[in-house]
Amino acid sequence: MSKANFKTLHLRGLCKRFGECTVLENAGFELHSGEVHALLGENGAGKSTLMNLLTGVYVPDQGEIVLDGQPCSIRKPADAMAHGIGMVHQHYRLVERFSVAENLVLAADRAPELQRLPVAAKALQETAEQLGLALDPYARVADLSVAERQRAEICKVLALGAQILILDEPTAVLTDTESESLLAAIQRMANAGKGVILITHKLREVVAHSDRVTILRQGRAVASNLATESLTQADIAQLMMGDVAVSQRQPSNLQTNGPDLLVATGLSASRNDGSTAISNIGIRLRRGEIVGVAGVGGHGQPQLCEALMGLLPIDSGSIQLDGFQISQCSVSQRRSYGLRYIPADRATNALALDLPVSDNLALTKVASGSKGRFWISRKGLFQDAQNTITEHRIAGASPQGLTRLLSGGNAQKLVLARELDNDCVVAITHSPTRGLDVKSCGAVHTALRELTSRGGAVLLISEDLEEIMTLSDRILVMNTGCITGELPGTASASEIGALMIGGH
Amino acid sequence: MSFISFWFASIPVSALPLLLACLGLILSERSGVVNLGAEGYMAVGAMSGAIVTLLTGSPWLGVGAGVLAGCCLGLLFAFSVAVLKADQILSGLAVMAIGLGLSGFIGRHWVHQPFNGMNAPDLPGLQQLPLLGGLLFKQPLLAWVSVLLVIVIAWILHRTRIGLRFTAVGEDPAAADNAGISVPGMQMLAGMLCGALCGLGGAYLSVASAHIWVDNMVAGRGWIALALVVFARWRPGRALIGALLFGAVDMLLPRLQAQGLQVPVYLMGMLPYLLTILVLVLATRSRYRDEPAALGVTYLRQDRH
Amino acid sequence: MAFQFALQRRANTSFLRSSLTFSGGLLLGLLLCVALLIQAGVPADMLFDDLVWQVFFQADGLAQTLTLSIPLILAGLSAALALRVKFWNIGIEGQLWLGAIAAMAVSIYGVGSDSYRWALMLVAAMAGGALWIAVPLWLKERFHASELVVTLLLSNVAFQLMLHLLFGAWRDPTQSFPISPAISEPERLLKLGFGNLHTGLFASIGMVFLVMWIMERSRFGFQSRILGSNRQVAEASGIAVGTTLVVMVLLSGAMAGLAGGLLVAGTEYRLTQHLGWNMTFSGIVIAFIARLRPFWVLPVAVVLAGVYNAGATLKVFYGLTEATVLLMQGIVLLSLLWCQFIAAFSIDRRQEVSV
Repeated sequence: MSKANFKTLHLRGLCKRFGECTVLENAGFELHSGEVHALLGENGAGKSTLMNLLTGVYVPDQGEIVLDGQPCSIRKPADAMAHGIGMVHQHYRLVERFSVAENLVLAADRAPELQRLPVAAKALQETAEQLGLALDPYARVADLSVAERQRAEICKVLALGAQILILDEPTAVLTDTESESLLAAIQRMANAGKGVILITHKLREVVAHSDRVTILRQGRAVASNLATESLTQADIAQLMMGDVAVSQRQPSNLQTNGPDLLVATGLSASRNDGSTAISNIGIRLRRGEIVGVAGVGGHGQPQLCEALMGLLPIDSGSIQLDGFQISQCSVSQRRSYGLRYIPADRATNALALDLPVSDNLALTKVASGSKGRFWISRKGLFQDAQNTITEHRIAGASPQGLTRLLSGGNAQKLVLARELDNDCVVAITHSPTRGLDVKSCGAVHTALRELTSRGGAVLLISEDLEEIMTLSDRILVMNTGCITGELPGTASASEIGALMIGGH
Repeated sequence: MSFISFWFASIPVSALPLLLACLGLILSERSGVVNLGAEGYMAVGAMSGAIVTLLTGSPWLGVGAGVLAGCCLGLLFAFSVAVLKADQILSGLAVMAIGLGLSGFIGRHWVHQPFNGMNAPDLPGLQQLPLLGGLLFKQPLLAWVSVLLVIVIAWILHRTRIGLRFTAVGEDPAAADNAGISVPGMQMLAGMLCGALCGLGGAYLSVASAHIWVDNMVAGRGWIALALVVFARWRPGRALIGALLFGAVDMLLPRLQAQGLQVPVYLMGMLPYLLTILVLVLATRSRYRDEPAALGVTYLRQDRH
Repeated sequence: MAFQFALQRRANTSFLRSSLTFSGGLLLGLLLCVALLIQAGVPADMLFDDLVWQVFFQADGLAQTLTLSIPLILAGLSAALALRVKFWNIGIEGQLWLGAIAAMAVSIYGVGSDSYRWALMLVAAMAGGALWIAVPLWLKERFHASELVVTLLLSNVAFQLMLHLLFGAWRDPTQSFPISPAISEPERLLKLGFGNLHTGLFASIGMVFLVMWIMERSRFGFQSRILGSNRQVAEASGIAVGTTLVVMVLLSGAMAGLAGGLLVAGTEYRLTQHLGWNMTFSGIVIAFIARLRPFWVLPVAVVLAGVYNAGATLKVFYGLTEATVLLMQGIVLLSLLWCQFIAAFSIDRRQEVSV
């Protein structure tokens, strides 16, 4: 694909809505040839969607993409490839059963010369050499390590003639040495005239390895095209967190006397693919306490929750609740001790959307047998549901109505009403206010505080720093599966941000 | 000795329709689609083949009609699954019923009417060869077409770019989509080819073997072919071996019975199925699973994100 | 300015939309069937008579319809139970045959005393069906083997087993066909004095209500509903997912086995090859139309039985074969699936981004 090197790429005023939800609003940035441009933002800030617009997975509702002065229309992945835009996703798009070279042949629609295996293999080898990376084009993808697969994907995209390369969190799963090697290769790409968009959470990378940075927050660009030469990590952290206006801190319910309620020590667990998700995590919760766990998403938070709940087996470590050893207990046993879980993705993990509201409300009680060992009364469930709906003011809900029809805020109210029942002792919450409006957030926070005033405790894992700072008595910071530090609840955003930076 | 010769010579009658259906199903499953309609495609293929041969007197036209009929039914299925994103299993069952039903419904006027179907060419010296003579040289031309198809399909799947792209759809539709391949397009193509090949298998039954159309001619061969795909581990070459094996057992048992031998024919008849279960279990355990990774997955680009 | 169409999955489908598309699909399918029959030579004015009046509103026809519905109800229950927990049971026929074999075995080997042997036969039938589905269930849990393929294969194995018995040890020497000896008088289910209808009907209907009761009223039923809707939620709520799955699947097999037992003890009085023709497909169609709800399996199965019954008449008078009934079932199922598309997806029209 012989194409003149591109000069500039402008993204302007891009908007994207999904139903009621506006994911991107007036977002955009610039990219020049030879530049490494970093794209920063929390999970849900819109980085993925913005890149999906650039690569043709979605079509923007408004705005334009201008390449070398010409507006271009990118409506499907093939269009993006045609314009020389290639993306290396976090989850690689390589067919595992094929070799690297076969994957290139597969993708070489517009490059007929690469459609023969030996030619493709040669192209891959040359590209890899230019970047200073090692690659065996005939190796089966299934046999390659994560780092090798990434190299394969990068070389494939470049061999296809990509002038603009988007890298999504490339160093997230690499070791230090592998990261260094990759970042050096990225620099070589830029030197050769390509444009690189680097999506990353690592502020050190932004400062050391990018030329400019754009920061997204809640679908908007809060800072665009800033030259990173003169910025420090702290500056960027400040920009990312924004002016975290901490609303009134409420008085704490922490009972400093008395034994620990939940103690986890040395917790380690792995994901399905064998990679380590969390290692050596220690957490301590006392009665009446809210402990916040800050950190950007994707660093093992879901696995921590699942390990504590019993949904994920732990490799090592122990968990004690109220003095009881629960490391080997089943989910139902842990629940019987008073452990509760409010997961991040309520549609997938907390609610059976096709079932009526009363079923979802009664779910855990029925499972534990407290509504009847063998027989349950639907009428009784309906009555209970109606009481709960009224008590918690869950709008739009009726006991027989489908759960699917509830709005986000009300669905979360349902989950909270169910989980934070009278027998709840410790609530593990993961991003409890994600996707909720201000009023619903308030309702959630009130419910959590109410639990602590009864002597319960809350583990609040969230990417919303403001939420953590408002509610927590103590703050832990999590990064790449470990706790990197502990701060008092009154710590400032920059202090917390400083602990988030660490790592590779 | 002659027993074995006769036995061998009869194997292709049973094996080849299975083989053709299996090839079609392999193509379908390689594109990620479970196709339970095989029995239906074969049925319409058999019926169309018989009717057209009866009407025109030309067996090859009959075979062509069988292929076309199967292809149309396959298109119906493929459209439901690839474009309308209907559940693959339920759609397959529906199309199977339509195929079986249509063949009985339309074919009811044409039952029990023998015709001059496809015969084996005259090859005097070769046919008399011991053991393999009948097997190799006493078969209608369609048999050799079938074997040729095995080679062609295997070559295309494993050695060409189009085969690579086709296989990618069933392995990782997201990756294929990213590479610019139209996933629904490929699945439609696979569905039509599956229907066509199964239709060809059905036509083999009526035009090349039995030279007649009767009710329920297919007699469950479509389901056996589905099992054969697993046995063959999705490779055309192994499908040929598996089909010959199934055919051998299928043709052996009645012969043994006819000889008056006291063999538990039906217990032996269980063997191919039990063997296939064993293969399925073993194959699932092996590190490099043969099954296309995205088999049965309904792919929608927007679902990815 | 060109438009492009993009398929978008609907976030939620209103009750109105889904019931309209469902009824629409059903109606479309039925209309196509009617058109088919007319094309085949059934006079339009006779259609209502043959398809509806004779089979549901005339004594003889109704009796036959109800008799045919006995195994169909159970097949529908079997499919519904399995599908509720997303277990593809394509081997309902195989479980039915195993049930029939088990029931026959009790009769042939004279297990238990004469007075209650019929009950033993039915229990054995249920056990036989449950056993036959336990194998693919175990293979799925232990080896991740596809239950779709294994239930199918075992169905064939069951058929071979039946042939082995019918042509061998259980063959009735007085008959020219390979069928088993008839079961004795006390083993037969009592006739109800209404055509061929027998007490097996109570068993089938009883099972419907039993399953319904369990699903609606019991803790187990509640948990299985959650499991079928969202497995992760079930696990996170402390439901014993594994046990629930096993019980539901075994129940599914038992229902199919019972169907076989009832056919042997109530209708055929012997074991034959022709038992349970097309039960798997019919069971799945019934379950699908009944939206997997036990209560609705009952009327849907009766309606389908009526269609089968009508099919027999159509065969005699218009020369149509049983294949016609199969064709009609296929058409209705496909119409329903196509109409589901309208409910599940919306088509967005998008304008070009730039001029």
